Amino acid sequence: MATTALPGHNYLQDDASTVGAWFKSWFLTVDHKRIALLYLLSINVFFLLGGLAATVIRVELITPQGDLLSADLYNRAFTLHGIIMVFFFLIPGTPAVLGNFLVPLMIGARDMAFPRLNLFSWYLYMAGGLFALTAAIFGGVDTGWTFYTPFSSTYANSNVILTIAGAFIMGFSSIATGVNFIVTIHTMRAPGMTWFRLPLFIWSSYATSLIIVLATPVVGITLLLVAIERIWGVGIFDPALGGDPLLFQHLFWFYSHPAVYIMILPGFGVISELIAAFSRKRVFGYEFIAFSSMAIALLGFLVWGHHMFVSGQSVYAGLVFSFLTMLVAIPSAIKIFNWTATLYKGSISYRTPMLYALGFMGLFVIGGLTGIFLGIVAIDIHVTDTYFVVAHFHYVMVGGAIMAYLGGIHYWWPKMTGRMYSEVWGGISALIIFVGFNMTFFPQFVVGYLGMPRRYHVYPEEFQVLHVLSSAGATILAIGFIIPIIYLTLSLWTGKEAGNNPWDATGLEWQVSSPPPTHNFLEIPVVTTEAYAYAPDAAEQDAANWRPGSPL
Amino acid sequence: MTHKEHEHAHAHIGPATYYKIFAALMVLMFLTVGAWWVETVVEIPRALGVFIALVIASTKTVLIVLFFMHIKVSSRVVQLYAIAALFGLLFLFVITMGDYIARGWPPQLGPLP
Ligand code: HEM
Ligand SMILES: [Cu+2]
Repeated sequence: MATTALPGHNYLQDDASTVGAWFKSWFLTVDHKRIALLYLLSINVFFLLGGLAATVIRVELITPQGDLLSADLYNRAFTLHGIIMVFFFLIPGTPAVLGNFLVPLMIGARDMAFPRLNLFSWYLYMAGGLFALTAAIFGGVDTGWTFYTPFSSTYANSNVILTIAGAFIMGFSSIATGVNFIVTIHTMRAPGMTWFRLPLFIWSSYATSLIIVLATPVVGITLLLVAIERIWGVGIFDPALGGDPLLFQHLFWFYSHPAVYIMILPGFGVISELIAAFSRKRVFGYEFIAFSSMAIALLGFLVWGHHMFVSGQSVYAGLVFSFLTMLVAIPSAIKIFNWTATLYKGSISYRTPMLYALGFMGLFVIGGLTGIFLGIVAIDIHVTDTYFVVAHFHYVMVGGAIMAYLGGIHYWWPKMTGRMYSEVWGGISALIIFVGFNMTFFPQFVVGYLGMPRRYHVYPEEFQVLHVLSSAGATILAIGFIIPIIYLTLSLWTGKEAGNNPWDATGLEWQVSSPPPTHNFLEIPVVTTEAYAYAPDAAEQDAANWRPGSPL
Repeated sequence: MTHKEHEHAHAHIGPATYYKIFAALMVLMFLTVGAWWVETVVEIPRALGVFIALVIASTKTVLIVLFFMHIKVSSRVVQLYAIAALFGLLFLFVITMGDYIARGWPPQLGPLP
């Protein structure tokens, strides 16, 4: 497949002589690196499908009338978009792709603690996805990704059960990955790799796994209860049957608020790695960043009621949730301040991954701060269920989680494939994404504040300008997402050989060949230094040696 | 527990214990059914009935977690995770109940009897 031979014996090479053996070597592999690639391909397919649904939504919203879709079809379109993006792209995204590939490499292990469970988690993911897609093909769902009762359990006449089954199965895939990470990080660190020498990506993956393991079972049971009420009419959530609809919201958000941290925490980990590597400095306040991940994991469990301020929950509960929500923003702020301090006097190079990291920092701050607006009851009552909320969560989920995912893919691509991609196209598409993103979602803050409700396909004429702006931005954004697919794929054939350590970065993953050998380390490394052990004067030296056109 | 010396490496629970726990669970199951039956014939406050049912159910859970799920003979980290899960449940129950109790219920529908 390659024009020039890649080094030695690596995990991508096949000794398979027949097609059957080749299939087996990929679809029954227990190599964490191959499983990461299986996830990479399947998760990106789901991302494209979710993007397709988003395109339909944005096209419909170009005009104030509902001329493309009926109200009912529109409900199904945004539900499909939400379910695919949340359950099948953002939640598994960074952990299952980058985490699977990197956790063993970064801690100096030969594989995960439970390699077969790892493979099983991919099959669960695919099975869950199959259920969700089947539901979509046979008419879709119209409940929104939040499945609010009693609509979902009693009144909706769309494929609720199939979709719920998909999310339920996918939950087990998450749990399997989480358990695997926790056990691997506890038991398989190389000699000398103490907790405080771990790369920050590992700390954030650990915190993410903790949330996954503790929160996911709750949503599993909750979805099961919806199915039970729907099938057998057992009164749990439907007041007409003696149930309580707010109970569903409590249970759902008890998972789904922590779940937003499942999406963003691995991204935080990626950003820590990128900022250190491209500033040539140890991350400022390493311990604070590590512990802030753990603090987020803990505090994230205490704030779910900020999604229920107008639901009829007790005003006193609302007050307490509002206060706790202010607390949970602190650890995120700690991270942003520490990354900024890391940049200070660093030798910053604007390579593609770093562009994503810098984009992340700006966009996440906007997303996080508008989250604080929403956490204040008085403001939330005005803007809840408007496009202001839509803009908030897209700033954190697209501007935050997806930017970090793309930055991470670009940073570790040479390690995963052994080849470099086009730096020029990398930079161009990062900029296109940044511009397209802001053009899509900033107008949504404005239109939401002016009163445009979310989940409606018709709207007053005066909002059209902002909606058209948003749809135009979405087109640019889509182009920005497609370009990397092209040049990354091309790089597999035409890319320069990366060598072991193209970024001159620290970390065990950069000490093995690219792509890594099947069992990662020929000899288990012994770790004697802290993470990000750049020479104290690395930044100054770089600055002194810099010439126009020098690579770093 | 015959292999005391290897307890850390492969601590395990013998079949005899499993059978005893199973018997205990069966007894508790009859207690659950019995309690329901008692409630249908004798007039007791609803809160008391719920409390008794919860005590029986929790006892079953503890037995299953400790013995069938091996938490009793697991490493400290595993025990810590089990406790963390209990704390998670505690957050869920306490905060949700906080909402229920403080909600503006009409007096005739009050959350507690
Ligand atoms: C800085 C901390 C954050 C705060 C204080 C915050 C606060 C809030 C609040 C109060 C709402 C409810 C708004 C409403 O429905 O009226 C909300 C919605 C939302 N947030 Fe955040 N948020 C934060 C970070 C995040 C992150 C990191 C993510 C995801 C990566 C996220 C994803 C979401 C989503 C998906 C919703 C909408 C859920 C729905 O109704 O469909 N938030 N946020
Ligand atoms: Cu939330």
